[in-house]
Amino acid sequence: MTTQTPTTEATQTAPLLMKVRGMSMSYGEGAQENKIIENLDLDVEFGQFISIVGPSGVGKTTLLRCLSGLLRPKAGTIEVSGTQISGPHPDLAVVFQDYSRSLMPWMTTRENVAFPLQGKGMGKTERNNLADENLAAVGLAGQGDKFPWEMSGGMQQRVAIARALAYNAKVLLMDEPFASVDAQTRFDLEDLVLDLQHKLGVTILLVTHDIDEALYLADKVVVIAEKPATVVDEIITDFGDTRDQLATKADPRFAEARARILVRLRKD
Amino acid sequence: MTNSTLKAPAPAAVQPPARKPSNGSGKKLLTSTWLIVVVVAIWWFASANSTNFFIPSLQEILESLVRDLGNGVILGGALYSLTNLFVGLAIAAVLGIGGGLLFGELHWLRRIFDPIIHFFRSVPQAALVPMIIGVFGMGQGPKMGTIAFACMWPILLNTIDGVLGVEPTIRKFSKVYRIPRMLHFRRVVLPAALPQIMAGVRVALPIGITVMVVSEMFASIEGLGFFILNSSATFKVPETWAGALLVGVIGYLISILFVFVEKRVLRWYHASGAQ
Repeated sequence: MTTQTPTTEATQTAPLLMKVRGMSMSYGEGAQENKIIENLDLDVEFGQFISIVGPSGVGKTTLLRCLSGLLRPKAGTIEVSGTQISGPHPDLAVVFQDYSRSLMPWMTTRENVAFPLQGKGMGKTERNNLADENLAAVGLAGQGDKFPWEMSGGMQQRVAIARALAYNAKVLLMDEPFASVDAQTRFDLEDLVLDLQHKLGVTILLVTHDIDEALYLADKVVVIAEKPATVVDEIITDFGDTRDQLATKADPRFAEARARILVRLRKD
Repeated sequence: MTNSTLKAPAPAAVQPPARKPSNGSGKKLLTSTWLIVVVVAIWWFASANSTNFFIPSLQEILESLVRDLGNGVILGGALYSLTNLFVGLAIAAVLGIGGGLLFGELHWLRRIFDPIIHFFRSVPQAALVPMIIGVFGMGQGPKMGTIAFACMWPILLNTIDGVLGVEPTIRKFSKVYRIPRMLHFRRVVLPAALPQIMAGVRVALPIGITVMVVSEMFASIEGLGFFILNSSATFKVPETWAGALLVGVIGYLISILFVFVEKRVLRWYHASGAQ
Protein backbone atom coordinates (compact mmCIF):
# COMPACT_ATOMS: atom_id res chain seq x y z
CA MET A 1 0.00 0.00 0.00
CA THR A 2 1.16 3.45 -0.79
CA THR A 3 0.08 6.40 1.23
CA GLN A 4 -0.16 9.98 0.33
CA THR A 5 -0.43 13.25 2.17
CA PRO A 6 -3.54 15.33 1.45
CA THR A 7 -3.23 16.54 -2.11
CA THR A 8 -3.16 20.21 -2.82
CA GLU A 9 -2.37 20.09 -6.51
CA ALA A 10 -2.95 17.24 -8.92
CA THR A 11 0.20 15.58 -10.14
CA GLN A 12 -1.50 13.29 -12.63
CA THR A 13 -1.02 13.84 -16.30
CA ALA A 14 -4.44 12.44 -17.21
CA PRO A 15 -7.21 15.03 -17.01
CA LEU A 16 -9.33 14.72 -13.88
CA LEU A 17 -12.96 13.73 -14.19
CA MET A 18 -13.88 15.75 -11.13
CA LYS A 19 -11.88 18.45 -9.46
CA VAL A 20 -12.93 20.19 -6.25
CA ARG A 21 -10.91 23.13 -5.01
CA GLY A 22 -11.30 25.12 -1.81
CA MET A 23 -14.92 24.15 -1.37
CA SER A 24 -16.65 25.61 1.67
CA MET A 25 -20.25 25.25 2.72
CA SER A 26 -22.20 26.79 5.56
CA TYR A 27 -25.78 27.36 6.58
CA GLY A 28 -27.05 30.66 7.92
CA GLU A 29 -25.51 34.11 7.71
CA GLY A 30 -23.34 36.37 9.87
CA ALA A 31 -23.24 35.46 13.55
CA GLN A 32 -25.66 32.61 12.91
CA GLU A 33 -23.38 31.09 10.30
CA ASN A 34 -22.78 27.40 10.83
CA LYS A 35 -19.76 26.22 8.88
CA ILE A 36 -20.14 22.64 7.73
CA ILE A 37 -17.29 22.20 5.27
CA GLU A 38 -14.19 24.32 4.90
CA ASN A 39 -11.60 24.46 2.17
CA LEU A 40 -12.06 20.94 0.85
CA ASP A 41 -10.07 19.63 -2.12
CA LEU A 42 -10.86 16.44 -4.01
CA ASP A 43 -9.51 14.81 -7.16
CA VAL A 44 -11.45 12.12 -8.98
CA GLU A 45 -9.78 10.23 -11.82
CA PHE A 46 -11.58 8.34 -14.58
CA GLY A 47 -12.62 4.87 -13.47
CA GLN A 48 -11.65 5.44 -9.88
CA PHE A 49 -13.63 4.18 -6.90
CA ILE A 50 -13.38 6.74 -4.13
CA SER A 51 -14.80 6.32 -0.65
CA ILE A 52 -15.34 9.35 1.48
CA VAL A 53 -15.40 8.25 5.10
CA GLY A 54 -16.13 10.31 8.15
CA PRO A 55 -18.02 10.14 11.42
CA SER A 56 -21.78 10.63 11.52
CA GLY A 57 -22.77 14.27 11.48
CA VAL A 58 -19.49 15.49 9.99
CA GLY A 59 -21.23 16.83 6.89
CA LYS A 60 -20.90 13.94 4.44
CA THR A 61 -24.42 14.34 3.13
CA THR A 62 -23.92 18.09 2.73
CA LEU A 63 -20.73 17.38 0.80
CA LEU A 64 -22.52 14.95 -1.48
CA ARG A 65 -25.33 17.43 -2.09
CA CYS A 66 -22.78 20.03 -3.10
CA LEU A 67 -21.01 17.57 -5.40
CA SER A 68 -24.31 16.54 -7.02
CA GLY A 69 -25.28 20.15 -7.68
CA LEU A 70 -28.23 20.13 -5.30
CA LEU A 71 -26.54 22.69 -3.06
CA ARG A 72 -24.37 25.56 -4.18
CA PRO A 73 -21.17 25.82 -2.12
CA LYS A 74 -20.44 29.15 -0.44
CA ALA A 75 -16.91 29.15 -1.82
CA GLY A 76 -14.64 27.15 -4.08
CA THR A 77 -15.13 25.36 -7.35
CA ILE A 78 -16.43 21.97 -8.51
CA GLU A 79 -15.40 20.96 -12.01
CA VAL A 80 -16.74 18.00 -13.94
CA SER A 81 -14.96 17.07 -17.17
CA GLY A 82 -13.20 20.42 -17.06
CA THR A 83 -16.25 22.65 -16.72
CA GLN A 84 -17.49 24.18 -13.52
CA ILE A 85 -20.94 22.99 -12.45
CA SER A 86 -23.62 25.31 -11.15
CA GLY A 87 -26.35 22.71 -10.59
CA PRO A 88 -27.27 19.11 -11.41
CA HIS A 89 -25.15 17.88 -14.30
CA PRO A 90 -25.81 15.12 -16.86
CA ASP A 91 -22.45 13.53 -16.00
CA LEU A 92 -23.53 13.02 -12.38
CA ALA A 93 -26.02 10.47 -11.08
CA VAL A 94 -26.91 9.88 -7.45
CA VAL A 95 -27.92 6.72 -5.60
CA PHE A 96 -29.73 7.88 -2.49
CA GLN A 97 -29.46 6.22 0.89
CA ASP A 98 -33.13 5.57 1.33
CA TYR A 99 -34.26 3.45 -1.60
CA SER A 100 -37.82 3.26 -0.27
CA ARG A 101 -38.10 7.03 -0.64
CA SER A 102 -36.14 7.55 -3.82
CA LEU A 103 -38.05 5.05 -5.96
CA MET A 104 -41.53 6.00 -7.06
CA PRO A 105 -44.16 3.53 -5.82
CA TRP A 106 -46.57 4.40 -8.66
CA MET A 107 -44.10 3.20 -11.28
CA THR A 108 -42.94 -0.33 -12.03
CA THR A 109 -39.22 -0.96 -11.65
CA ARG A 110 -38.81 -0.67 -15.42
CA GLU A 111 -40.61 2.67 -15.44
CA ASN A 112 -38.52 3.85 -12.49
CA VAL A 113 -35.30 3.07 -14.36
CA ALA A 114 -36.55 4.40 -17.70
CA PHE A 115 -38.06 7.63 -16.34
CA PRO A 116 -34.88 9.77 -16.28
CA LEU A 117 -34.26 8.61 -19.88
CA GLN A 118 -37.69 9.92 -20.82
CA GLY A 119 -36.53 13.20 -19.32
CA LYS A 120 -33.60 13.08 -21.72
CA GLY A 121 -36.07 12.77 -24.59
CA MET A 122 -35.37 9.12 -25.39
CA GLY A 123 -38.10 7.12 -27.18
CA LYS A 124 -40.19 4.57 -25.34
CA THR A 125 -38.83 1.37 -26.90
CA GLU A 126 -35.25 2.47 -26.53
CA ARG A 127 -35.56 3.55 -22.93
CA ASN A 128 -37.46 0.42 -21.92
CA ASN A 129 -34.79 -1.75 -23.54
CA LEU A 130 -32.09 0.16 -21.72
CA ALA A 131 -34.01 -0.20 -18.47
CA ASP A 132 -34.29 -3.96 -18.93
CA GLU A 133 -30.58 -4.22 -19.76
CA ASN A 134 -29.59 -2.34 -16.64
CA LEU A 135 -32.01 -4.26 -14.45
CA ALA A 136 -30.36 -7.44 -15.76
CA ALA A 137 -26.93 -5.97 -14.98
CA VAL A 138 -27.87 -5.61 -11.31
CA GLY A 139 -29.31 -9.13 -11.17
CA LEU A 140 -32.96 -8.23 -11.68
CA ALA A 141 -33.54 -9.69 -15.14
CA GLY A 142 -37.23 -10.15 -15.89
CA GLN A 143 -38.36 -8.16 -12.85
CA GLY A 144 -39.27 -4.99 -14.75
CA ASP A 145 -43.02 -5.37 -14.29
CA LYS A 146 -42.82 -5.57 -10.53
CA PHE A 147 -43.43 -2.57 -8.34
CA PRO A 148 -40.70 -1.50 -5.90
CA TRP A 149 -42.92 -2.28 -2.91
CA GLU A 150 -43.18 -5.88 -4.06
CA MET A 151 -39.43 -6.22 -3.52
CA SER A 152 -37.04 -6.55 -0.61
CA GLY A 153 -34.87 -3.61 0.45
CA GLY A 154 -31.79 -5.02 -1.24
CA MET A 155 -33.65 -5.48 -4.51
CA GLN A 156 -35.03 -1.95 -4.33
CA GLN A 157 -31.53 -0.57 -3.91
CA ARG A 158 -30.47 -2.62 -6.95
CA VAL A 159 -33.25 -0.87 -8.89
CA ALA A 160 -31.91 2.49 -7.73
CA ILE A 161 -28.43 1.47 -8.89
CA ALA A 162 -29.82 0.34 -12.25
CA ARG A 163 -31.53 3.71 -12.61
CA ALA A 164 -28.25 5.52 -11.98
CA LEU A 165 -26.41 3.25 -14.46
CA ALA A 166 -29.05 3.68 -17.16
CA TYR A 167 -28.73 7.45 -16.87
CA ASN A 168 -25.25 6.89 -18.29
CA ALA A 169 -23.51 9.43 -16.09
CA LYS A 170 -19.74 9.47 -15.83
CA VAL A 171 -19.76 9.60 -12.04
CA LEU A 172 -22.05 7.74 -9.66
CA LEU A 173 -22.42 9.53 -6.35
CA MET A 174 -23.59 7.14 -3.65
CA ASP A 175 -24.84 8.47 -0.34
CA GLU A 176 -24.50 5.70 2.26
CA PRO A 177 -26.28 3.43 -0.21
CA PHE A 178 -26.10 0.30 1.91
CA ALA A 179 -26.89 1.80 5.30
CA SER A 180 -30.52 0.65 5.32
CA VAL A 181 -30.09 -3.05 4.49
CA ASP A 182 -29.05 -6.04 6.57
CA ALA A 183 -25.41 -7.17 6.76
CA GLN A 184 -25.58 -10.04 4.26
CA THR A 185 -27.46 -7.93 1.69
CA ARG A 186 -24.94 -5.20 2.29
CA PHE A 187 -22.04 -7.52 1.36
CA ASP A 188 -23.92 -8.70 -1.74
CA LEU A 189 -24.54 -5.12 -2.83
CA GLU A 190 -20.94 -4.11 -2.17
CA ASP A 191 -19.72 -6.95 -4.39
CA LEU A 192 -22.32 -6.07 -7.01
CA VAL A 193 -21.12 -2.47 -7.13
CA LEU A 194 -17.46 -3.55 -7.39
CA ASP A 195 -18.38 -5.95 -10.14
CA LEU A 196 -20.33 -3.31 -12.07
CA GLN A 197 -17.50 -0.85 -11.71
CA HIS A 198 -15.00 -3.26 -13.22
CA LYS A 199 -17.32 -4.30 -16.01
CA LEU A 200 -18.58 -0.88 -16.98
CA GLY A 201 -15.60 1.25 -15.97
CA VAL A 202 -17.87 3.73 -14.25
CA THR A 203 -16.38 6.16 -11.74
CA ILE A 204 -17.87 5.92 -8.28
CA LEU A 205 -17.78 8.30 -5.35
CA LEU A 206 -19.25 6.69 -2.26
CA VAL A 207 -19.91 8.35 1.04
CA THR A 208 -20.03 6.17 4.15
CA HIS A 209 -19.39 6.18 7.88
CA ASP A 210 -18.29 2.53 7.72
CA ILE A 211 -14.49 2.31 7.58
CA ASP A 212 -14.47 -1.35 6.49
CA GLU A 213 -16.86 -0.63 3.66
CA ALA A 214 -14.84 2.39 2.58
CA LEU A 215 -11.59 0.39 2.48
CA TYR A 216 -13.07 -2.73 0.93
CA LEU A 217 -14.54 -0.89 -2.04
CA ALA A 218 -12.22 1.97 -2.79
CA ASP A 219 -9.11 2.67 -4.79
CA LYS A 220 -8.75 5.79 -2.70
CA VAL A 221 -10.22 6.52 0.71
CA VAL A 222 -10.70 10.17 1.59
CA VAL A 223 -11.05 10.75 5.32
CA ILE A 224 -12.98 13.82 6.35
CA ALA A 225 -13.24 15.03 9.92
CA GLU A 226 -13.15 18.07 12.20
CA LYS A 227 -15.66 20.86 12.42
CA PRO A 228 -16.00 22.38 9.90
CA ALA A 229 -15.17 19.27 7.90
CA THR A 230 -12.13 19.03 5.73
CA VAL A 231 -9.94 16.31 4.27
CA VAL A 232 -7.64 15.00 7.00
CA ASP A 233 -6.15 12.01 5.17
CA GLU A 234 -6.10 10.20 1.85
CA ILE A 235 -5.20 6.55 1.53
CA ILE A 236 -4.56 4.82 -1.79
CA THR A 237 -5.41 1.15 -1.44
CA ASP A 238 -4.14 -1.57 -3.75
CA PHE A 239 -6.13 -4.65 -2.93
CA GLY A 240 -6.44 -5.28 -6.65
CA ASP A 241 -9.42 -5.88 -8.87
CA THR A 242 -10.49 -9.10 -7.20
CA ARG A 243 -11.60 -8.53 -3.68
CA ASP A 244 -13.16 -10.90 -1.24
CA GLN A 245 -15.25 -10.06 1.80
CA LEU A 246 -13.17 -12.43 3.96
CA ALA A 247 -9.71 -12.50 2.39
CA THR A 248 -9.43 -8.79 1.65
CA LYS A 249 -10.59 -7.80 5.09
CA ALA A 250 -8.09 -10.25 6.62
CA ASP A 251 -5.22 -8.67 4.68
CA PRO A 252 -2.69 -7.10 7.12
CA ARG A 253 -2.62 -3.96 4.95
CA PHE A 254 -6.40 -3.71 5.47
CA ALA A 255 -5.95 -3.76 9.24
CA GLU A 256 -3.14 -1.26 9.01
CA ALA A 257 -5.19 1.19 6.93
CA ARG A 258 -8.16 0.65 9.20
CA ALA A 259 -6.09 1.53 12.26
CA ARG A 260 -4.72 4.60 10.55
CA ILE A 261 -8.21 5.89 9.73
CA LEU A 262 -9.45 5.14 13.25
CA VAL A 263 -6.59 7.12 14.75
CA ARG A 264 -7.34 9.99 12.39
CA LEU A 265 -10.98 10.03 13.39
CA ARG A 266 -10.32 9.58 17.10
CA LYS A 267 -7.98 12.55 17.29
CA ASP A 268 -10.89 14.94 17.23
CA MET B 1 -17.23 -14.65 -2.42
CA THR B 2 -15.40 -13.11 -5.34
CA ASN B 3 -16.58 -10.66 -7.85
CA SER B 4 -14.71 -12.26 -10.72
CA THR B 5 -17.93 -13.76 -12.02
CA LEU B 6 -19.64 -11.50 -14.46
CA LYS B 7 -23.11 -12.54 -13.48
CA ALA B 8 -24.53 -10.44 -10.68
CA PRO B 9 -25.63 -12.48 -7.69
CA ALA B 10 -29.36 -12.99 -7.85
CA PRO B 11 -31.17 -11.60 -4.83
CA ALA B 12 -33.70 -13.67 -2.97
CA ALA B 13 -37.17 -13.33 -4.41
CA VAL B 14 -39.91 -11.88 -2.30
CA GLN B 15 -43.39 -13.22 -2.64
CA PRO B 16 -45.96 -10.59 -3.55
CA PRO B 17 -48.68 -10.31 -0.93
CA ALA B 18 -51.25 -13.06 -1.44
CA ARG B 19 -54.68 -12.01 -2.61
CA LYS B 20 -57.47 -12.42 -0.15
CA PRO B 21 -59.76 -15.34 -0.94
CA SER B 22 -63.03 -14.09 -2.41
CA ASN B 23 -65.35 -16.67 -0.82
CA GLY B 24 -65.94 -14.29 2.07
CA SER B 25 -67.53 -11.66 -0.15
CA GLY B 26 -71.09 -12.93 0.37
CA LYS B 27 -70.64 -12.67 4.10
CA LYS B 28 -69.12 -9.21 3.69
CA LEU B 29 -72.12 -8.08 1.63
CA LEU B 30 -74.45 -9.35 4.33
CA THR B 31 -72.49 -7.55 7.05
CA SER B 32 -72.73 -4.26 5.23
CA THR B 33 -76.39 -4.47 4.19
CA TRP B 34 -78.40 -5.99 7.03
CA LEU B 35 -78.69 -2.72 8.94
CA ILE B 36 -80.09 -0.89 5.90
CA VAL B 37 -82.72 -3.60 5.51
CA VAL B 38 -83.66 -3.33 9.18
CA VAL B 39 -83.88 0.49 9.05
CA VAL B 40 -86.06 0.39 5.93
CA ALA B 41 -88.31 -2.23 7.54
CA ILE B 42 -88.70 -0.15 10.72
CA TRP B 43 -89.48 2.91 8.59
CA TRP B 44 -91.99 0.94 6.55
CA PHE B 45 -93.95 -0.42 9.54
CA ALA B 46 -93.64 2.63 11.79
CA SER B 47 -94.97 4.93 9.05
CA ALA B 48 -97.55 2.47 7.69
CA ASN B 49 -100.55 3.97 9.48
CA SER B 50 -99.27 7.53 9.63
CA THR B 51 -101.99 10.12 9.86
CA ASN B 52 -99.59 13.04 9.99
CA PHE B 53 -99.95 14.90 6.70
CA PHE B 54 -96.25 15.83 6.66
CA ILE B 55 -95.04 12.31 7.39
CA PRO B 56 -96.42 10.07 4.65
CA SER B 57 -95.99 6.32 4.83
CA LEU B 58 -92.96 4.83 3.14
CA GLN B 59 -95.35 2.94 0.89
CA GLU B 60 -96.82 6.20 -0.41
CA ILE B 61 -93.35 7.69 -0.86
CA LEU B 62 -92.14 4.72 -2.87
CA GLU B 63 -95.34 4.63 -4.95
CA SER B 64 -94.93 8.26 -5.96
CA LEU B 65 -91.24 7.70 -6.61
CA VAL B 66 -91.96 4.75 -8.93
CA ARG B 67 -94.79 6.65 -10.63
CA ASP B 68 -92.76 9.80 -11.22
CA LEU B 69 -89.75 7.82 -12.36
CA GLY B 70 -92.05 5.98 -14.77
CA ASN B 71 -93.71 9.05 -16.25
CA GLY B 72 -90.39 10.83 -16.54
CA VAL B 73 -91.18 13.78 -14.29
CA ILE B 74 -88.52 13.00 -11.73
CA LEU B 75 -86.19 11.25 -14.16
CA GLY B 76 -85.87 14.35 -16.32
CA GLY B 77 -85.19 16.37 -13.22
CA ALA B 78 -82.56 13.91 -12.06
CA LEU B 79 -80.81 13.97 -15.42
CA TYR B 80 -80.78 17.76 -15.42
CA SER B 81 -79.38 17.81 -11.89
CA LEU B 82 -76.75 15.15 -12.53
CA THR B 83 -75.56 16.94 -15.67
CA ASN B 84 -75.04 20.08 -13.62
CA LEU B 85 -73.31 18.10 -10.89
CA PHE B 86 -70.87 16.29 -13.15
CA VAL B 87 -70.00 19.29 -15.29
CA GLY B 88 -69.57 21.34 -12.12
CA LEU B 89 -67.38 18.68 -10.52
CA ALA B 90 -65.28 18.31 -13.66
CA ILE B 91 -64.63 22.07 -13.75
CA ALA B 92 -63.85 22.01 -10.02
CA ALA B 93 -61.41 19.13 -10.48
CA VAL B 94 -59.57 20.81 -13.36
CA LEU B 95 -59.32 24.16 -11.56
CA GLY B 96 -58.66 22.65 -8.12
CA ILE B 97 -55.99 20.20 -9.23
CA GLY B 98 -54.37 22.59 -11.70
CA GLY B 99 -54.37 25.46 -9.23
CA GLY B 100 -53.28 23.21 -6.40
CA LEU B 101 -50.27 21.94 -8.37
CA LEU B 102 -49.25 25.51 -9.16
CA PHE B 103 -49.77 26.87 -5.65
CA GLY B 104 -48.08 23.84 -4.13
CA GLU B 105 -45.01 24.07 -6.34
CA LEU B 106 -44.63 27.86 -6.48
CA HIS B 107 -44.16 29.17 -2.96
CA TRP B 108 -44.28 32.83 -3.92
CA LEU B 109 -47.59 32.33 -5.73
CA ARG B 110 -49.05 30.52 -2.73
CA ARG B 111 -48.00 33.32 -0.38
CA ILE B 112 -49.86 35.85 -2.54
CA PHE B 113 -53.05 33.83 -2.85
CA ASP B 114 -53.17 32.22 0.59
CA PRO B 115 -55.43 34.82 2.29
CA ILE B 116 -57.86 34.85 -0.65
CA ILE B 117 -58.05 31.06 -0.73
CA HIS B 118 -58.78 30.89 2.97
CA PHE B 119 -61.40 33.62 2.75
CA PHE B 120 -63.34 32.00 -0.05
CA ARG B 121 -63.22 28.53 1.35
CA SER B 122 -64.64 29.85 4.62
CA VAL B 123 -67.74 31.31 2.94
CA PRO B 124 -70.66 28.87 3.28
CA GLN B 125 -71.09 27.76 -0.31
CA ALA B 126 -74.89 27.63 -0.30
CA ALA B 127 -74.94 31.29 0.75
CA LEU B 128 -73.46 32.25 -2.62
CA VAL B 129 -76.23 30.67 -4.66
CA PRO B 130 -78.71 33.60 -4.62
CA MET B 131 -75.96 36.09 -5.53
CA ILE B 132 -74.51 34.05 -8.35
CA ILE B 133 -77.91 33.33 -9.82
CA GLY B 134 -78.90 36.94 -9.35
CA VAL B 135 -75.87 38.08 -11.29
CA PHE B 136 -75.61 35.36 -13.92
CA GLY B 137 -79.24 34.44 -14.39
CA MET B 138 -81.36 31.33 -14.36
CA GLY B 139 -79.77 29.05 -16.92
CA GLN B 140 -77.86 25.85 -16.44
CA GLY B 141 -74.48 27.57 -16.72
CA PRO B 142 -74.67 29.53 -13.47
CA LYS B 143 -75.76 26.38 -11.63
CA MET B 144 -72.78 24.43 -12.94
CA GLY B 145 -70.58 27.38 -12.05
CA THR B 146 -71.92 27.48 -8.50
CA ILE B 147 -71.31 23.76 -8.03
CA ALA B 148 -67.82 24.12 -9.51
CA PHE B 149 -67.04 27.04 -7.22
CA ALA B 150 -68.21 25.21 -4.12
CA CYS B 151 -66.45 21.94 -4.95
CA MET B 152 -63.19 23.54 -5.98
CA TRP B 153 -61.99 24.50 -2.49
CA PRO B 154 -61.57 21.10 -0.87
CA ILE B 155 -59.91 19.81 -4.05
CA LEU B 156 -57.62 22.85 -4.27
CA LEU B 157 -56.59 22.75 -0.61
CA ASN B 158 -56.01 19.01 -0.62
CA THR B 159 -53.98 19.22 -3.81
CA ILE B 160 -51.78 21.93 -2.26
CA ASP B 161 -51.30 19.74 0.83
CA GLY B 162 -50.53 16.75 -1.35
CA VAL B 163 -47.95 18.67 -3.36
CA LEU B 164 -46.32 20.00 -0.19
CA GLY B 165 -46.17 16.46 1.13
CA VAL B 166 -44.21 15.03 -1.80
CA GLU B 167 -41.29 13.04 -0.42
CA PRO B 168 -38.21 15.34 -0.34
CA THR B 169 -35.96 12.51 -1.59
CA ILE B 170 -38.13 12.18 -4.69
CA ARG B 171 -37.81 15.91 -5.31
CA LYS B 172 -34.04 15.59 -4.99
CA PHE B 173 -34.11 12.67 -7.39
CA SER B 174 -36.09 14.77 -9.87
CA LYS B 175 -33.57 17.60 -9.63
CA VAL B 176 -30.43 15.49 -9.82
CA TYR B 177 -31.74 13.55 -12.82
CA ARG B 178 -32.83 16.82 -14.40
CA ILE B 179 -36.42 15.79 -15.08
CA PRO B 180 -38.01 18.47 -17.28
CA ARG B 181 -40.59 20.57 -15.49
CA MET B 182 -43.77 19.35 -17.23
CA LEU B 183 -42.71 15.72 -16.94
CA HIS B 184 -41.94 16.32 -13.26
CA PHE B 185 -45.45 17.73 -12.76
CA ARG B 186 -47.18 14.96 -14.65
CA ARG B 187 -45.28 11.88 -13.52
CA VAL B 188 -43.84 12.86 -10.13
CA VAL B 189 -45.85 15.56 -8.37
CA LEU B 190 -49.32 14.60 -9.63
CA PRO B 191 -49.12 10.88 -8.76
CA ALA B 192 -47.45 11.64 -5.42
CA ALA B 193 -50.26 14.05 -4.53
CA LEU B 194 -53.03 11.85 -5.96
CA PRO B 195 -54.04 10.15 -2.68
CA GLN B 196 -54.65 13.59 -1.16
CA ILE B 197 -56.36 14.84 -4.31
CA MET B 198 -58.76 11.91 -4.27
CA ALA B 199 -59.53 12.62 -0.62
CA GLY B 200 -60.37 16.19 -1.65
CA VAL B 201 -62.72 14.98 -4.38
CA ARG B 202 -64.37 12.73 -1.85
CA VAL B 203 -65.08 15.72 0.38
CA ALA B 204 -66.29 17.72 -2.63
CA LEU B 205 -68.91 15.17 -3.69
CA PRO B 206 -71.50 15.75 -0.92
CA ILE B 207 -70.86 19.51 -1.14
CA GLY B 208 -71.63 19.31 -4.85
CA ILE B 209 -74.87 17.41 -4.24
CA THR B 210 -75.97 19.93 -1.62
CA VAL B 211 -75.26 22.92 -3.84
CA MET B 212 -76.87 21.14 -6.78
CA VAL B 213 -80.17 20.85 -4.88
CA VAL B 214 -79.99 24.33 -3.37
CA SER B 215 -79.18 25.93 -6.74
CA GLU B 216 -82.36 24.44 -8.19
CA MET B 217 -84.48 25.86 -5.43
CA PHE B 218 -83.76 29.38 -6.63
CA ALA B 219 -85.27 30.65 -9.84
CA SER B 220 -85.43 27.26 -11.46
CA ILE B 221 -88.06 25.20 -13.21
CA GLU B 222 -86.03 22.03 -13.53
CA GLY B 223 -84.01 19.54 -11.52
CA LEU B 224 -84.41 17.58 -8.30
CA GLY B 225 -84.20 20.68 -6.13
CA PHE B 226 -87.07 22.24 -8.08
CA PHE B 227 -89.02 18.97 -7.85
CA ILE B 228 -88.62 18.88 -4.06
CA LEU B 229 -89.49 22.56 -3.57
CA ASN B 230 -92.38 22.54 -6.06
CA SER B 231 -94.02 19.40 -4.69
CA SER B 232 -93.71 20.80 -1.19
CA ALA B 233 -95.25 24.12 -2.26
CA THR B 234 -98.17 22.28 -3.83
CA PHE B 235 -98.62 20.01 -0.78
CA LYS B 236 -97.64 16.84 -2.61
CA VAL B 237 -95.80 15.64 0.47
CA PRO B 238 -95.02 12.06 -0.69
CA GLU B 239 -93.33 13.54 -3.78
CA THR B 240 -91.26 15.83 -1.60
CA TRP B 241 -90.05 12.85 0.40
CA ALA B 242 -89.52 10.83 -2.76
CA GLY B 243 -87.33 13.59 -4.19
CA ALA B 244 -85.24 13.83 -1.03
CA LEU B 245 -84.92 10.05 -0.91
CA LEU B 246 -83.78 9.96 -4.51
CA VAL B 247 -81.12 12.61 -3.82
CA GLY B 248 -79.88 10.44 -0.97
CA VAL B 249 -79.78 7.32 -3.12
CA ILE B 250 -77.96 9.18 -5.90
CA GLY B 251 -75.42 10.50 -3.40
CA TYR B 252 -74.87 7.00 -2.08
CA LEU B 253 -74.44 5.50 -5.55
CA ILE B 254 -71.98 8.25 -6.52
CA SER B 255 -69.90 7.59 -3.42
CA ILE B 256 -69.83 3.85 -4.22
CA LEU B 257 -68.77 4.66 -7.77
CA PHE B 258 -66.11 6.97 -6.38
CA VAL B 259 -64.67 4.32 -4.07
CA PHE B 260 -64.53 1.93 -7.02
CA VAL B 261 -62.67 4.45 -9.20
CA GLU B 262 -60.37 5.44 -6.31
CA LYS B 263 -59.34 1.83 -5.67
CA ARG B 264 -58.35 1.48 -9.32
CA VAL B 265 -56.55 4.80 -9.65
CA LEU B 266 -54.67 4.40 -6.36
CA ARG B 267 -53.95 0.69 -6.63
CA TRP B 268 -50.25 1.25 -5.92
CA TYR B 269 -51.11 3.36 -2.89
CA HIS B 270 -53.31 0.79 -1.23
CA ALA B 271 -51.16 -2.17 -2.25
CA SER B 272 -47.89 -0.61 -1.07
CA GLY B 273 -49.32 0.06 2.36
CA ALA B 274 -48.17 3.65 2.13
CA GLN B 275 -51.32 5.08 3.67
